[in-house]
Amino acid sequence: MEIILTLREDITVPVELDALLPEKMQDMDVEEIKNIEVPQGRTTVKVGEIFDVKVIESDIPKMTIKNSSIKLKRVGEGMTTGEIVIEGDVGMHVGAEMKGGRIVVNGNADNWAGQGMKGGELIIKGNAGNYIGSAYRGGYKGMSGGLIVVEGNAGHEIGEHIVGGMIHIKGNVGYFVGIHAKGGIIRIDGDVPGRLGAEMIKGAIVVNGKVSEVLPSFKYEGIVENPVIKIKKKDEGTKIEGVYHLFTGDYVNNKPKGQLYISVASNPHLG
Amino acid sequence: MEYIIKNGIVFDPLNKVDGEQMDICIKDGVIVESVSEDAKVIDASGCVVMPGGIDSHTHIAGPKVNTGRLMRPEDSYKDLYLKRGLKPGTGFSIPTTYKTGYEYCEMGYTTAIEAAMPPLKAKHVHDEFVDTPQIDKGALTLFGNNWMVMRYLKEKDYELCAAYVAWVLKTVRGFAIKIVNPGGTEAWGWGRNVHGLDDPTPYFGITGREIVRGLGIVNEMLGLPHSIHVHPNDLGHPGNWKTTIETMDCVKDIEPKPKYGERETTYYNAHVQFHSYGGTSWKDFVSKGVEIAEYVNKVDHVVVDVGQITLDETTTMTADGPMEYDLHMSTGNKWANCDVELETGSGVVPFYYSPKGPVYSVQWAIGLDIFLNTDPSKVLLATDHPNGGPFTRFSRIIAWLMSKKYRDYWLNEKVHKWARTRSSVGDNDKEYTMYEIAQITRANQAKVLGLSLERGHLGVGAIADIAIYDIGPEEKDPKVIERAFRYAKYTFKNGEIVVKDGNIVKEVFGDTLYVDVKIDETLEKELMKDLEEVFKKDYTVQMENYKVPEYLANNWKVIQIDNSEIS
Ligand SMILES: [Zn+2]
Repeated sequence: MEIILTLREDITVPVELDALLPEKMQDMDVEEIKNIEVPQGRTTVKVGEIFDVKVIESDIPKMTIKNSSIKLKRVGEGMTTGEIVIEGDVGMHVGAEMKGGRIVVNGNADNWAGQGMKGGELIIKGNAGNYIGSAYRGGYKGMSGGLIVVEGNAGHEIGEHIVGGMIHIKGNVGYFVGIHAKGGIIRIDGDVPGRLGAEMIKGAIVVNGKVSEVLPSFKYEGIVENPVIKIKKKDEGTKIEGVYHLFTGDYVNNKPKGQLYISVASNPHLG
Repeated sequence: MEYIIKNGIVFDPLNKVDGEQMDICIKDGVIVESVSEDAKVIDASGCVVMPGGIDSHTHIAGPKVNTGRLMRPEDSYKDLYLKRGLKPGTGFSIPTTYKTGYEYCEMGYTTAIEAAMPPLKAKHVHDEFVDTPQIDKGALTLFGNNWMVMRYLKEKDYELCAAYVAWVLKTVRGFAIKIVNPGGTEAWGWGRNVHGLDDPTPYFGITGREIVRGLGIVNEMLGLPHSIHVHPNDLGHPGNWKTTIETMDCVKDIEPKPKYGERETTYYNAHVQFHSYGGTSWKDFVSKGVEIAEYVNKVDHVVVDVGQITLDETTTMTADGPMEYDLHMSTGNKWANCDVELETGSGVVPFYYSPKGPVYSVQWAIGLDIFLNTDPSKVLLATDHPNGGPFTRFSRIIAWLMSKKYRDYWLNEKVHKWARTRSSVGDNDKEYTMYEIAQITRANQAKVLGLSLERGHLGVGAIADIAIYDIGPEEKDPKVIERAFRYAKYTFKNGEIVVKDGNIVKEVFGDTLYVDVKIDETLEKELMKDLEEVFKKDYTVQMENYKVPEYLANNWKVIQIDNSEIS
C-alpha cells in the first residue's frame, strides 16, 4: 500500500512525523491515517488537518510526501522496511535511527539526516545540512550501518562518531568530516576545507576534491593506487579507483587506525 | 490524618520484627500505638511492609551532578518521565531533580543522602534539594582535601580542626564528614595523585592516614550522628584491597561517641566494591570481595556500602579528580574536571559497564561477593548512584541477592566468563531473606547515619515513612521481586500516602537535615581569626557570601548538639 500525503499549505511551526512509518500504516484506512496525532511545536495536530491523504496500491509499504517542507521533521525515523519518497525539502532528522528500507529526498535535507542510522538507504538528491550520519547530540555512537548518499553539498561534522556503514557526498562539505570516527567509510567527491578525520580512531575517509590542509596529527604513508579499503580484519575490503595520498591517524589518540585517502590529482600540494 | 495498615507482613530489623503479621497505626505523621475508629484502613494482606528506604550514599544534587546533566544530552534522550499532573523529567543515569524525587519514592524510598557537597558550592546542592520532591535529604560535606583541615591536622591541632568542621557544617548546612581520596584530590591540583595511605600530599606533606585518623578523632570529639564517611585512596586500581583494609584498620582504636543517635561504628567505607580489587593490572584483576567481607565481619568499627555495579550505561562523578582523569584517558570518553579552590575538586566521565566486558563483569561479581559474604548487619545497599549504576536498579540488585537462580542466570548467560572464574559468586548459595533486605536498605542506614531514633524503623514514635510492597515474604521469582521493589504498592511519607500502585499520588517536599554543633566560644574566636585571614587572602568569596541562607530548604531539620565543653 502506498500512502500519499500532500501538504496543503506551507506551515510555520514544525511538525514531527516519526509516527508515520509506512510499515505501521499498512492496515489503516484513510480515515484512520487522517486521525493520527503528531506533535506540532508544543501541541499536536491531526494528519488530516495539514495533509490531503490518499491511498493507492503498492507492492511494498510506501509513503510519498508531496509538496514537502523543511518544517517536516523526523520523517522515516526508526523505519525498518519499505520506502519513503519526499517531493521537496525535508526537515531535521530524516531517517534518524533508520534500520532498513529506503528513503529518497527529491530536494534538500536539513541537519542530522540519518543520525544514528543502523541500516537501509537514505538518498538525498539536493543538498544536506550538518551532522549527517552522526550520533545523537552528546552521544558517542553515530551511524553504524547502511548507506547515505547526498548528490549535492553537505555541511559540517559529516559522520560524527560514525561506527559503520557508508556516507557518500557527491558535492563539497564543511569542516570536521568524520570527527571521532570509529569505523565506516566516508567518500567525498568534492572539496574539503580542512580538519577532516579529527580524533578519528578507525574508519576511512576518501576525498576526490581539494583538501586545503591535513591535520598535523596525521602521518603521511605515501601514495597508493586503486586501494582496497579494509576497516576490520575480516573485512573483504572496498575497492576504490584512483591515485591517493594515504594518511593515518589521528595521532592525538593512542594507536589510531584511521585512514585518509586524498586524491593526488586534486592535491599536488600535499604529500 | 489517621491510618491503620492492616495485616501486612512486617519486616522491621531495628525492632527485631521478622515477618510478623501485624497492624501499623499512624497519626499526625508518626507511628502510634493505636488509632481511633475514624482511621482510614489500608489492607496490606499478603504484602510486605517495611520502613521507608534510605540511600546513605547517592549523588543527586549539586554542581557535579548538574555538570553530568549538561554534558550528557544523550542520557536525557534515553529516559523520559511524563506522568500527568507531575513535573516532566529526563535522564537515565542523571535524572533531573523532580524525576529523582519521584523515582526514589516510587521505590518506597523516603530519605537520600547526597554524598559529596563541596562547602563552597553548598548553595547549589541545597537549591537542587528544594526542587527534589518526596524525600528527605542531607549532604555529606567534603573535608578530606581541605586546606584548613590539612593545616590543623598537620599541626595535630584537633580542637581547632573540630571547631572548623563544626563551623563549616553549620554554615553550609552539611550533615556529616566526607573524605574522598584523602590528599589525592589536592595532589591532583599539582597534576599528581597519592597512591598508598602513607603517600604525602604535595606542599602540605600530610598523608591519607593522618587525614583519615585526624578527621576520625574530630568526628567523635564533636559527637556527630554519622561517622566519618570515607572513599579511600586508590579507588578503582587493581591491588587496592590492601589499602582499603589498611585504611579501615587505621581508625580501629577510635571510640564511637555520638551525641545523637545510636551509632556503634566509627568508619563508613563508601562503595567498597571499587576498593576490593586484587591483582596487579587489569590482566590479572580478581575479586578480593571475600577478603574485604572477612575483615569487616571480624571488626566492630566498620560498616560498608557496596556501590554495586548494575552493568548499565551510566555517568561517573566523584570528588576524586585524578581517578576521573584516569578513566577519561582509558576510555577516551568526554570528561569534565573542576578544582574547588581550597576545598576539593571533582571529575565527571560517562561510562558504559558492558556485561560482555571482562573487567566490568568482575566488578559486578565483586559487589555480589561482598553482599554474600558480609554480615547483613554491616553492609548497605547502594550503587553509589550514578557511579555503579542508577538507583532505579536497586530492585534488580535485590532480585540478585534473593535468588541464587537469577544470579546464576546472569553469571552463566549474560556476563563475561571472568565473573565466574575470578570471583566466588558462583559457589555461594546464600539467598537474602526479606528481613536481611530490610536491614541492608533501611535499618543499617538509619543506624549508621545516626537517624535510627526516628527513621528506618516502625516502632512507636518513628516518622511514618513506610513502604508496602506487593510481594509475599517467601517470593523467589526474580521478575516479581524486581517489579515489586521498583514500584511500591504504597509509600507513606510523614504519614501521608504519596505513592499508590507505583504512581505518585501526592507531591510533598521533604526536609533537609543538617547538623549544628555548638562549640566553645573562645575556641570559635580563635578559629575566626584564622578563617578571616584565609577568606581575605585565599578565597574568591567573602565569608558573608559563604553561608547557606535560610530560604534554601523546604524545611530545615536541624540536629543540634551541644559540645561547648571541648576547648
Ligand atoms: Zn559516591
